[in-house]
Amino acid sequence: MIELAKVYKNYYLGEEEVAAVSDVSLKIKPKEFISIVGPSGCGKSTLMYLVGLLDTPSAGKIFVDGKDVSGLSDSELSVIRNQTVGFVFQSFNLINKFTVLENVLLPTRYTKLKLAFDPGRRAEELLNKFGIYERRNFFPNKISGGQQQRAAMVRALIMNPKVILADEPTGNLDSKTGEEILNLLERLNRDFQTTVVVVTHDAAVAKRTQRQIKMRDGRIIRS
Amino acid sequence: MRLRNGVYHLMTSAVSDFKRSKIRTFLTSLGIMIGVFSVVMLIALGLGLKNYIEGQFESLGANLVIIFPGMVFSEEGGLGGNFGPGFAGGAHFKERDVSALDKVSEIDYVVPMFFKSMVLSANGEEILGYVTGTNEEMFTVSNIELLEGELFSRSDNQRRRKVAVLGYSAAQELFSDPRVALGKRVTASDQRFTVIGVAKKKGDREMDNSLFVPYRSTFGTINPDKTFFAIYLGITSKDAVETAKQRAEETLLKYYEEDDFSVTEQSEILSTINQIFTIINVILVAIGSISLLVGGIGIMNIMYATVTERTKEVGIRRAIGATQKDILLQFLTEAVTLSVMGGVLGLVLAGVMVLVVRQFFPVALNLLAVVLAFGVSSAIGIFFGVFPARRAASLPPIEAIRYE
Repeated sequence: MIELAKVYKNYYLGEEEVAAVSDVSLKIKPKEFISIVGPSGCGKSTLMYLVGLLDTPSAGKIFVDGKDVSGLSDSELSVIRNQTVGFVFQSFNLINKFTVLENVLLPTRYTKLKLAFDPGRRAEELLNKFGIYERRNFFPNKISGGQQQRAAMVRALIMNPKVILADEPTGNLDSKTGEEILNLLERLNRDFQTTVVVVTHDAAVAKRTQRQIKMRDGRIIRS
Repeated sequence: MRLRNGVYHLMTSAVSDFKRSKIRTFLTSLGIMIGVFSVVMLIALGLGLKNYIEGQFESLGANLVIIFPGMVFSEEGGLGGNFGPGFAGGAHFKERDVSALDKVSEIDYVVPMFFKSMVLSANGEEILGYVTGTNEEMFTVSNIELLEGELFSRSDNQRRRKVAVLGYSAAQELFSDPRVALGKRVTASDQRFTVIGVAKKKGDREMDNSLFVPYRSTFGTINPDKTFFAIYLGITSKDAVETAKQRAEETLLKYYEEDDFSVTEQSEILSTINQIFTIINVILVAIGSISLLVGGIGIMNIMYATVTERTKEVGIRRAIGATQKDILLQFLTEAVTLSVMGGVLGLVLAGVMVLVVRQFFPVALNLLAVVLAFGVSSAIGIFFGVFPARRAASLPPIEAIRYE
């Protein structure tokens, strides 16, 4: 579904060139539950953002559904992000001036196609399923971290994406809440048949996934 | 549907941001508000003044030709080269000119005008009014009607009788009731005139405060040089106006140089007034526009700050699928909303101000001012908003989302 072929990503820190991702080839298949593990600074987040088309590779190619995306324009990439990818972040990244419901509906505002579902109804269903329907008219900073992360997951799911990319989704939560979030990710992989990629430095989290991709110094050392 | 939804979302999004920083929003709009207010007010003042002066000339009858000293109004209806000497110097018309002009067949009547600001006293009261020395035709030319009594006649003028028609306001101030003025004496520069008529209210400050007297009666202490400020000519018909002007000019050239006087029609005067006020208005609007410019820069400044402040938000929106255009429109909408809000406030304030000022001074608001206020404030919003909005749109998504 998403395939990376000999992908490199280099950054410039002042004069010095830093290789964040080197020579990574990777295939993510439909319905997979994958983790990308490694110590901090190993390039796992960079890799995830490359997969999510939020960042572009310095070299190499990325294919989405067999189609090379390297030549696509910024707005074409935005459209793919909108329809195919859902992000879940460590710090939730909800917009505080909007209510939970408005945050969840935001991706539907940016869609360029006619939606196959009623956004309002789908949002309600998902909020219900994730147990935060009662909090829909609250502002994000007025609810708990666990509830914020649930809202973020609903936002990631609203467009019915093929893949959910979660960057340290439990990193800002206590272990009990983190466990709940992991259960939810597991469930949506199982029940919604959505591909889930979790980026983590925590081996315990990685163990919950079907496939672990280990990284060090920008390279995949085991997949 | 999608577009309407989009615009609605953009607007509500902008307003929700304003609610969070009310003081900043208000102060930013204030610049545009003051700018629009001053531009609209200046247009209203210019327009009001123009309407007032035009009204003064239009209240004079049609087929009217006016002879002024100097080259006040050029042949083309434009402003003459020596405006200064026009009113200050030039010809001083004499009775001889009046008689000469009277002989031109196309001219129906000749009205000499002597006009002087003077203290009028009667009944133990004193006011600063005007003495207007003229003849009986003046009442026709200026459409002056009587409230009481009668007008002075041709023979009153020939016999230099000290009779007068008193303007409404002057009569009211001197005698508290205009009707009792009849038969009373009014003194101007030790000359005593008997009031034989009181004029109806004209709504014109000079006319309402005038003592109209036969011009020959002013010869002496009031008008020792026996001169006139201007001569009004009533022409027999509209078709004869051109010929009459020519004949009048030929007549006067016997006594004066070409540059000493100008023979003008009402329409020429009006078009000159129009020209003068167009220039004045352009200058006023240009001055007002400086504050609009400053207001626009204020908006740009705040928008740049907002973009930096909301880098993270831009990153989030980009991650969930917003295109560069979506981000651009979001910030542009905000800038334009901010600016138009200021524009509307300025317009409302100017509207209230016009209603207040109208009590003392003729001001007028027109549709142009309203359209201009909206047009200019949205244009400023777009112009000064587009640069910050482009910066927001061009933020690399990955850097924006990692921004703390």
